[in-house]
This record gives sequence, C-alpha cells and structure tokens, in this order.
Amino acid sequence: MNTRALILLLIQISVSVFGKINQDSIDSNIVIAKVERKIDIATHLVKTSTLITLENKGSSGIRSFLFSLDPSLKDNLSFLSAVTKENKDDKLDVKETNVAGHGDKRFYRITLPTTLDAGKTVTVDVEAVYAHVLKPYPLEITQAKKQLVVLDTNLYFYSPYVTKSQTTVVTTTNSNIESYTKTKPVTQSDNVITYGPFEEKAPFSESQLRVHEENNSPFLTVTSMERVIEVSLWGNIAVEEHIDMKHTGARLKGPFSRFDYQRQQDGYASIKTFKTSLPASARDVYYRDEIGNISTSNMRELDESVDVELRPRFPLFGGWKTRYFLGYNVPSYEYLYYKGDHYALKLRFVDHIYDDMVIDEVQVKIILPEGSKNIELKVPFDVERRGDEIHYTYLDTLGRPVVVLNKHNLVEQHIQDFELHFTFQKHLLLQEPLLVVGVFYFLFLAVIIYVRLDFAITKDEAKESRMRVSSLIDEVQSAHDRRSALYQSYDDAINKFKSSKDVTAFSASRKKIDADYKQLTQQIQNLQTQLKAEGSEAAEKVAQLQRLDTLYKEQIGLAITAAEKLVSGKLNRQQYLDTQAATAAKCDDTYKEMESLRAAL
Amino acid sequence: MADADLVVRNDIRSAMWNPGGWKSLLSFFILALAWLAGFSARLFAVIRFESIIHEFDPWFNYRATHYMVENGFYNFLNWFDDRAWYPLGRIVGGTVYPGLMVTSGSIHWILNLLHIPIHIRDICVFLAPIFSGMTATSVYLFTKEIWSPGAGLFAACFIAIVPGYISRSVAGSYDNEGIAIFALMFTYYLWIKAVKTGQVFWSICAALSYFYMVSAWGGYVFIINLIPLHVFVLLIMGRYSQRIYTAYSCFYIVGLILSMQIPFVGFQPIRTSEHMAAAGVFALINAYAFLKYIQNFLTKSEFRYFFFAAVTIAAAVVFIAVVGLTWAGYIAPWSGRFYSLWDTGYAKIHIPIIASVSEHQPTTWVSFFFDLHILVCAFPVGAWYCIKNVNDERVFVVLYAIFASYFAGVMVRLMLTLTPVVCVLAAIAFSKTFESYLKDDSPKQNQKNADEKGDNKNDRLYDKVGNKKIRDEKPKDEEGLGINVKSIIVVALLMMLMLFAVHCTWVTSSAYSSPSIVLASYGQGGSRTILDDFREAYYWLRQNTDDKARVMSWWDYGYQIAGMGNRTTLVDNNTWNNSHIALVGKAMSSNESAAYEIMRALDVNYVLVIFGGVIGYSGDDINKFLWMVRIAEGEHPRDIREVDYFTPQGEFRVDAAGSKILLNCLMYKLSYYRFGQMQLDFRSPAGFDRTRGVEIGNKNFELTHVEEAYTTEHWLVRIYKVKDLENRSEIKKPHKPVKKSKRKPKRQTVRKPGVIKHSPKIVKGKKVKSPKTTKTPPKTGGKK
Repeated sequence: MNTRALILLLIQISVSVFGKINQDSIDSNIVIAKVERKIDIATHLVKTSTLITLENKGSSGIRSFLFSLDPSLKDNLSFLSAVTKENKDDKLDVKETNVAGHGDKRFYRITLPTTLDAGKTVTVDVEAVYAHVLKPYPLEITQAKKQLVVLDTNLYFYSPYVTKSQTTVVTTTNSNIESYTKTKPVTQSDNVITYGPFEEKAPFSESQLRVHEENNSPFLTVTSMERVIEVSLWGNIAVEEHIDMKHTGARLKGPFSRFDYQRQQDGYASIKTFKTSLPASARDVYYRDEIGNISTSNMRELDESVDVELRPRFPLFGGWKTRYFLGYNVPSYEYLYYKGDHYALKLRFVDHIYDDMVIDEVQVKIILPEGSKNIELKVPFDVERRGDEIHYTYLDTLGRPVVVLNKHNLVEQHIQDFELHFTFQKHLLLQEPLLVVGVFYFLFLAVIIYVRLDFAITKDEAKESRMRVSSLIDEVQSAHDRRSALYQSYDDAINKFKSSKDVTAFSASRKKIDADYKQLTQQIQNLQTQLKAEGSEAAEKVAQLQRLDTLYKEQIGLAITAAEKLVSGKLNRQQYLDTQAATAAKCDDTYKEMESLRAAL
Repeated sequence: MADADLVVRNDIRSAMWNPGGWKSLLSFFILALAWLAGFSARLFAVIRFESIIHEFDPWFNYRATHYMVENGFYNFLNWFDDRAWYPLGRIVGGTVYPGLMVTSGSIHWILNLLHIPIHIRDICVFLAPIFSGMTATSVYLFTKEIWSPGAGLFAACFIAIVPGYISRSVAGSYDNEGIAIFALMFTYYLWIKAVKTGQVFWSICAALSYFYMVSAWGGYVFIINLIPLHVFVLLIMGRYSQRIYTAYSCFYIVGLILSMQIPFVGFQPIRTSEHMAAAGVFALINAYAFLKYIQNFLTKSEFRYFFFAAVTIAAAVVFIAVVGLTWAGYIAPWSGRFYSLWDTGYAKIHIPIIASVSEHQPTTWVSFFFDLHILVCAFPVGAWYCIKNVNDERVFVVLYAIFASYFAGVMVRLMLTLTPVVCVLAAIAFSKTFESYLKDDSPKQNQKNADEKGDNKNDRLYDKVGNKKIRDEKPKDEEGLGINVKSIIVVALLMMLMLFAVHCTWVTSSAYSSPSIVLASYGQGGSRTILDDFREAYYWLRQNTDDKARVMSWWDYGYQIAGMGNRTTLVDNNTWNNSHIALVGKAMSSNESAAYEIMRALDVNYVLVIFGGVIGYSGDDINKFLWMVRIAEGEHPRDIREVDYFTPQGEFRVDAAGSKILLNCLMYKLSYYRFGQMQLDFRSPAGFDRTRGVEIGNKNFELTHVEEAYTTEHWLVRIYKVKDLENRSEIKKPHKPVKKSKRKPKRQTVRKPGVIKHSPKIVKGKKVKSPKTTKTPPKTGGKK
C-alpha cells in the first residue's frame, strides 16, 4: 500500500515537473472579436454558454486558444465543453493547462478542428457548468419564507485576450429579482437581465456583477455516492447506488410546523420529492435505507426509461440531509458485449438521479465475474482509479476483482458511458454449479458411509444379538409362509387326485411337495437352533410352531390316506366326508394357532 | 431404532420394503413438512411488509447483535452503552442474556466464512422461524420419549403452527423467546432421556442444553424449578431409583456451574430464593440415597426410627439454613416480579411499572382459545391418559402441565411456556384416539404386532405399576364399535384438526403479523396505505440531529430510538431504574416550566411523543399517560398526584371538562400543540381527537421552552427541540408556573401513597380493533 502510494506520488511529481517545463503562453495574435455570454441561474447550478468569435491577427495559422475561468467561478467548475458554431456535434478537445506568470488562474486549452489561418475568424461555443456558486442570502430562513440567492461574478468575459465587444445575459429563475448590478448599459425584462455591449476590454478585466434573486428550485446536492455495478455472466447486471444527499440552500431557522406545511402548502424551498430516471430495462427496483424499505415511492415505466418518483422519508428543508440506496437489475445483453473470451462492458459512469443534479463525490465500483483477467478501462473523462479490490459473494472461492473509480464534482453532463474490457474463460461459468453439486455429492456420500459402517468404539452385544434374532425371526416367518403355501398345495393335489384318480401323478406331485416341505422344515429347524444359540425366547415359540406343524402334517397324512382309500374304494363317500370334515376342522384350528404364533414371534 | 439398524444389514432391495425404513422416511418427511409449514406460516409480516425487525425489544436485540458482529464477542461482553439511560449508561454485557446474539452472530460468522454475504438483519429476522422448526423437532423427540412416535409427529405438527407459539416467533420478532422455547423443550427431552436411561451422558447433555437456555432467556428459572419438582414428586411417589439419582446429581451440579458462567446470572443460582428449590432437592436426594445405602446394614425397625429422625433433622437443617441465609442477606428474597406470580394484585400496588405492561396482565379465557384452539380441549384428555398410564417421565409431563397452566393463567406472556406441553398432551390424546379408531379390525397382524412389541418393551422396562392388563383389555371394549361409528369419529376429529389449521393461519395472519413499527390501513376498496411515521421520525432523528443529541421519550420507545434513530435516550425498555423512569414521567406530567427544569437538569435536547389523535391510533402516549403519572407519583408523591389528572367525577378526559392540570401538562401540550387549529373533516370541529373521540379542551396555547422540531406526516410522532435558556430580560415569565406548582401541595388532602383510585381501564396497545388488545410493548428482564 505504502509503496504504491509512493510510486503514485513520484509519478505525480514527475508529471507536474514535466508540465511546468511545457507551460503554455498567451498568444497575443489572437483577438476576440465578439463574445456573447449567457449565464443561466434558473436552477441551483450556474450554466454559462459563451459564444466566442476568435480572430487571428497574426501571420501564421493557429491551432488552439486558451480559455480562462473566471476567478469567482474557477473553484466550482464541474463540466466544460466546447463546439464550433458550425458543427455542434463534434466536441473540441479541451485540456487544462498552466500559463507562465498566471499561476493563480485556471486555463483550458481548446484545440480547433482546423487551423485558423491569418485574418480568419471562427466562432466557438464554450459551455460550462458550475456548482455551489449561488449562495443563499439570507443564510437562514423560516419555514414560510422564500429562498433568496445571490450570484457574485464578473461582469466582463475573463479572457487572456483582448475582447473587442461583449454582451452578458443573465437568466434568473423568475421575475422576482431583489437587486442587480446596474452598470450601464443594462436592461431587464421579466427574468432576463442584459448587460452590454461593452467595447474593447483589456485581458483579465474585472467588474462586479451581483444578482440577488428568488430561487426556490431544489438546492439538492449528493454529498457522496457509491455506485456498485455487479456483472454476472448469467445474464444480469445489478446496480446499487448508495446516496447521501443534503439540501444545500438556505438553512431552516426555527421550528418546522407540520400544520402549516400541510395546511398552507408553504415551505417553498423544501424538497418533497424528486424523480430518478433509470434505464428502460431496469427491473426489481428497490428504494431503501438502513432501517428498511422507504414506502413512499412510485414507479412509472416509460418507453425510454423507468421513472422512479422518490420521496425521502421526510421533506428536506435547508440543511437537512438524508441517505438512501436505490438498486435495480438490468439484463446484461444490453450492456455486455463479447467475442470469444473477450468481454466489453459499456455502461454509464453515473446515471440520472434528479434533474440538474450535483454530485460532489462519487465512487464507482465494478464487480466483475470471478476469474476475469486483463482488465482495461476506457473512460470519457478523467477519473481517479484506485487499486483493484477483491469481493466475495455467494459461492466464491477466489473472489471477484473489483475496479474502483473515484471522481469529484459531477453534473448531468457527466452521464456518459465508460468501457471496461476484460477476458473471461467461459468454462469457469460451470465452476459454481459444480461446486454445489460436489458439496452435495460428498454430503450424501458421507451420510451413506456413516449409515453403512459401524463406527461404535464398543460392541453392544445385546443390541447385536437383538438384531440377529430379529433377522432370524424374519427368516423363520418367511420359511413358515412358504410352508403354509405348501399345505395348500397338498390340498390341491388331493383334490386333483380325487377327481382324476391318477395314482402315479398324485404320488409324483406328493413326492415333490414332500421334498420341499422337508427342506423348509429342516430350514426352520436350523433357524431354531440358531435362535436357541442366541438365547432368545423366540426359540421356544419356533419349537412350538414346529410341533404344531407336525400335527398339521399328521392331519394332512390322514387326509391323504383317506383320499387314497376313497379312490381305491375302501371307504365310501359318506365315511370319507366325515373323516375329511374332522381333519379339516383340526387343520383349521392348528393353522390358526400357527398363524397367531407366527405373528407373535 | 432396531428397525433402522436392520436396514444396514439387509440389502437395499429388502430395505425398500422394510416397514421400518418407510416409517423413518415418513417421520422425516412429516417433520420436514412441519418445519416448512411452521416457517412459512411465520412469514406473513415479511411478505406483507418487508424483512424488518418488529416491535420494541427486538430492536435492542438487533442493535446488540449488530454491535457484536461489528466489534467481536469480547467487546460485546464489555460493552458500556452510553447511548442509553443518559446520563447513567448501561453495562450491556452484564445485563443481557447473550444467547440470542451469540446464536445469530455465529450463524452470520459461519455463513460469511462460506462467502455467503447475508446481512445480519436478515439472519435476525428469520432466526425465530428457523428455530420454530427446531422446536418442532425437539417436541417430537420429547413426545416420542413420553408416549409414542406417532404422538410425537402430531405434537411436532401442532407446535409448528399453534398461535400461542407463533405469537413470539414470527419473522422479525427477534426476541429471546424465539430460541428459548427450543432450548426449553430440548432440555426437557434430554432430561427425560436421562431419567429413562440413567446415563451420565444424557444428563450432561441436559445440563449443556440448560446452559444454552440460561444464556437465552430468564425463563430458565422454570426449568430449574420444574426438574427438581419432578425429582421430588418421584421421591414422594416411591419411584426413587439409581437412574434418577444419577440423572439429577449430574444435571444439577453441571447445570449450576454452567449457569453461573453467564454474566447476567452470575451468583444468582446460589443466592436467590428462586433457585433454592433445586438445591434443596439436591440435598434431599442425596440424603435419600444415603438412607437407602444405610438400609442395607440395618434391620427394618431400626431403620424406621433412623429414617424418621434423619428425615426430620435433614428437613429442619435445610429449612433453617435457607431461612438463616435469607435473613443474613446471603440469599435474596423473591423478587417483585416473582411475587406477582403468586399474588396477581401485588404488582399493581407495589410496582406499577410491571403492571403497566399489558403482557403482565392475567390471561383472559378467550386468549386460551384464541392461542390454542382445539388443543385446549384435547389437552386434559392427554393429561388423563398420562396419569392413567403413569411412569417416571409421564409424571414430569403432568407436573409441567399443571404448573404451566397456572402460570399461563396469571400472566399473558407465560402462555408461551404452556403452549408446548399443551401440544404434547393434545398430541397424545389425538394419537391415542386415532390409534383406537383408525385401526382396521381385520387382523393386520404384522403391524399391530410391531406396535405391541414396542409398547410391551416400554412397559416392561419402565413401568412399575402394572397396567399391562388395562392395555390388554382395551381392544375388547372397542370391538363393540362398528366401522361406521369409527369412521364418523375419525372424520369428526379430522374436521376439527382442519379447523385448527385454518384458525392458526387466520390468527397468525390477523393478529401476530404486524411489525407494529409500520402500520397499514385499508381503504374501502381494499387498497392499502402504509403509515410509516415511526421510521420517518426515527430516520429524521438519525439524519438531522446532532450525533450526541439526547432524546427524551417514554420508555416504550427507547429501544427504537436507539436502534433506528441511533440517538441517546434517557430511559428504555430495559426498565432497570425505576426512579429514572419516574423522573421522565414527572417531566411529562408537570407543566412546561417545571418540566423545563427537569429537562435542563437531564441535558435533554429533544422530546419525542407519540400522538394518535389524527389517525386514531390507540397506543399513543396520552392513553399511556396515566401510567406515567402513576410511576412518577410512586417516586415523587409530593409533586405528582394521580387524582389531579382526573375530573372531579373521576374520569380521565382531555376535552374541556378535563382536569386543568392535565390540560396544561407537558405531555398534553406536546401532543396537542397546534392540533386545536386542525380540522380533520367537515363533520367534526377543529381539534377533534379521533382516538378519544372528543374535541380537545385546551386549544390555543404557545410553547415557551420547547419548539416543534419535526412532526411526521400523520402526526403520529412529534419531536420537539428543547430551547436554550432565554435571555435574562424575559426571566419573569418562567417564574410563574413554579409558584403554581408550590401551591399545589397545600390544596391536596393527605393520601396514602401508591393507592390507585378511580383507575380507568386504559389498555395500552396497538391500533383500535386489533384482536389482541392486550399485547403491547414487551419488556426485558427476567420473566418469572
């Protein structure tokens, strides 16, 4: 940090030394033939428009001329631009410069579009905007009073060259003018005061021009502002502006009476509401402050802009301040251009806040996507670029680069686009989704591993045995269910046998069922011994089950012999039916018993 | 649990068809849904308004949390807040339960560690809804231990949406109760677990959870009295066992030491009467264990003598020790707030400031139904089931139910502690009923068997009283019911539960979801107007007054002025200094000149009053004014007398018939300054007060020592600037009123201090027609 500051200092020193060597000088060949100066003090800004007719009295052509700022205004300049009268679209190159022997003055060198040949004239229109020039007078007013301001400046065009003829026109807010300098020739009609023409004034000639007028236009100043632009390559650009504003007009003296304010609608100098124009594509607009949403706002979507009517929580009287933030989203396709991995962001450096706005200090932060490299900035005017920062937001690992830009003294004319070029590898877009997927993957994996493996440091014998027993019981139950199914098969076989009277087929199927049955019984037997080994009381129940099963099997045996006897004719039908009924009843009982036993396992 | 473990052993396919697996999946989903439902039911305020901190106390909690996040935990513990209680200041670290701040602070810290830049305000706003889900889970666990998993699920669903709990845990209501109910139920769950298993592990867990509870809410006293009571009752019932001994000894010792680590609690657990029951039971259970041990060496008759002697001596010693220590001053007697739990009239007479908070009023019958709906009917049924099938842990629930019901009846805000147990017991009642009526008669053997197995196990292990027979008999009773009767009953119950859900949503949406700092009024066409006057005024203070400006207001607004306005206040919702509050009350009740002297003495720059006369807001300062007078009278009985503010008929009125003293006091003047000129509509005269529905009595007056600094759009908040001393030439004027105040004492008859006569029923509160008229500015400090 320190080394960086040191380097900056060195650069500054070298630049200034270099500048000193290449100081400008005043070219006495240039004469100003005519100046028409308009000073507009209708709002809280002082806007001057100076129509300068230059004449080259020398022998060689001139390329540029000097424009000096009036001493009363030189510290308040916000914006300066120049065009020729013929071509209003092409802005002339304007550069601040120093003139030897005039260290106390501020000069700008304006380069002409073509060389001005000897004897020729050219007309240049220089526009300048000054903030905080109009001073409230009196400094403090009560609620019902109107705001009076005074303009104190130079009656003559402050020029390094001889001015042959000049006029000055002052436009005031309205016709309520308390007083004005009456240097003749002067005329006043309605809200326009015209001075001049004044002939043959020497370079740097001065005379007081003082206008004291009523001006109730909002004297609203953004004392400091932070504009954060967050670029997402997923298609969105989020803009958030943190704004500190203050009423810089005449301060409120004495009480604020809500009754008078509501009843008489006075408070001429107070600011109730102002309008901010956002880009037409702005969505999700929010207007908040530290303690929450400011519910007093309206939004209107127009064709070329979204107008937000902002009403601060309280009306702003002189000296009162407020603070809020306004945010919105715009789709990135309107502002972000790309070719391959190369991206360019083209967006306004500052945006409209209110008409005739004044921003004392602005910090613009541009948050680029994570992994952006080779950042290059192109701005339409001088800005101070601070060192880049790193910003972390959702799912960031390395952080996003932040370009920080600072500038003082801005007005509406500064609403211009900047360009920011950077490179970004597209596949990095997948980094964050993959991160989420990965985290969840490992989370599930961890749960699976945790559930499947036994991490107990001690072995819980009782629990394990319980688990083994329950699984054994499950097996017994399923074996028993299959065995019960076999009983049914026996019945089926017997019935079939009774109808077909096919002994061989019957004995074959019987053998098959017998084999299955034996196997299952054996299986249950094994399970029972295992259960016994676990010391479970279920073993006894299984034994009981086996006993019942033997009973059942006996009944089936009886049924088979009876059926065989019936088929072979040893038993008549009635006798058979009796035995059959007896065995069936017994079977039923045993079956029920077995089922309940099985369920009770 | 065994079922779940089985899954591990079998392969996945069998696990899919394992009923245990489905059961746990189902429970998980029901709990998750309960969490979700509880969370979203609490978002009404956020959706209607915005993500904002509500009410009064939450603003302090938020401010403290913000401070902690900015400055770190240790700076927070050492924080001396010079913006409160001017000129005294407040040692915040030592007078606050830090659990809430630490909880949201650590969530914020973790999220920021993961680069999730969530503002601390949003964490604070959503903390209570998130914790409501955790409460639902712990209630599930608790009920599962008490009764059955099915009842647990019912209980979890009930607690998730029951209004009694939602009232304190909507999004934005960032208060201690939001996390404390979770801590409370979780501690109880762990305690039950400890009692059931007798494991040191569980009782240490219970102690840790208790520690969290102590750090979070003054209601921890409820735990530290209820658990000893449980142990005590178990001893009396002859249910003493090694398990209980282990559980309680570990819990008490560890819990005691841990609770003393909270700076605000400090040595209270060994020095105040509220905590003595726990110590007494600890001594008792040790003595009992010792006797049990002795019993092994003595014959029965010897033991009997020994027993009686020992018990008498032990009881006498403990009693004398407690009384002696209290007398000697080592143990503080019960605090006033605690007394007011037993004698509801106590606070009103001795500590008007406690009585002035309507949350401390006795509960009305309506609010039981309003907050609990059908549960309040089902709750005794559950209690009856618990008593009928009693075992160690069910004794606990029954005790909890009895005591919580009593406290909830005494104080509105303690409804909160009753709510969980009502949910648990109602869940048991519903679960039991559904178990009987929903069951299919055709033998679904497998299912039934599993249930019975579980129950039997329970009984065998923990139930000493042989009630197994009752259980076996029951199915016989029910066999008489046909399928039709059963389905009718089931459908009826389901209808009731449905109505319950509808009621909960309605109550939450209409009564508990107002942030109270943003008011909304609805026009005829249903259009909504937002009245944002509070924030307008506080933000004006924040932006346009000196950073060190002192603002005098009634204590209700102290936290909000500090939190939103970021200005120094004289008194706030932490009403620790009654005389300071009384001084502010005196300033408000005196005439302008007398008040000016007090304000000069207190270095006041601005005075803020709430005035609802223009929009008809009933919770304004004029309606609270009698409490100011009462509190002021308590400290300054010679200067302020409540009767002076009533008409001879004993009415409190602000119209022309009102008492002259009232019509000239500072509060009146500040509220009605220039209001007399204002005509609200053509039908009413100028100066018609909509809240009180009268034309004000004193209309045209000027203010001498203060000037209007700001009044909000709807006149809800009015801020006055205290002028500097006037030039000497005008010194005559301020003298007059002083004489007047000296005259007053002679005129008055002697009265007993502190007795309230002709006290009108002024309910502080919110807008008119708000269903819960009694809910008003909450208040910090220990609850019970």
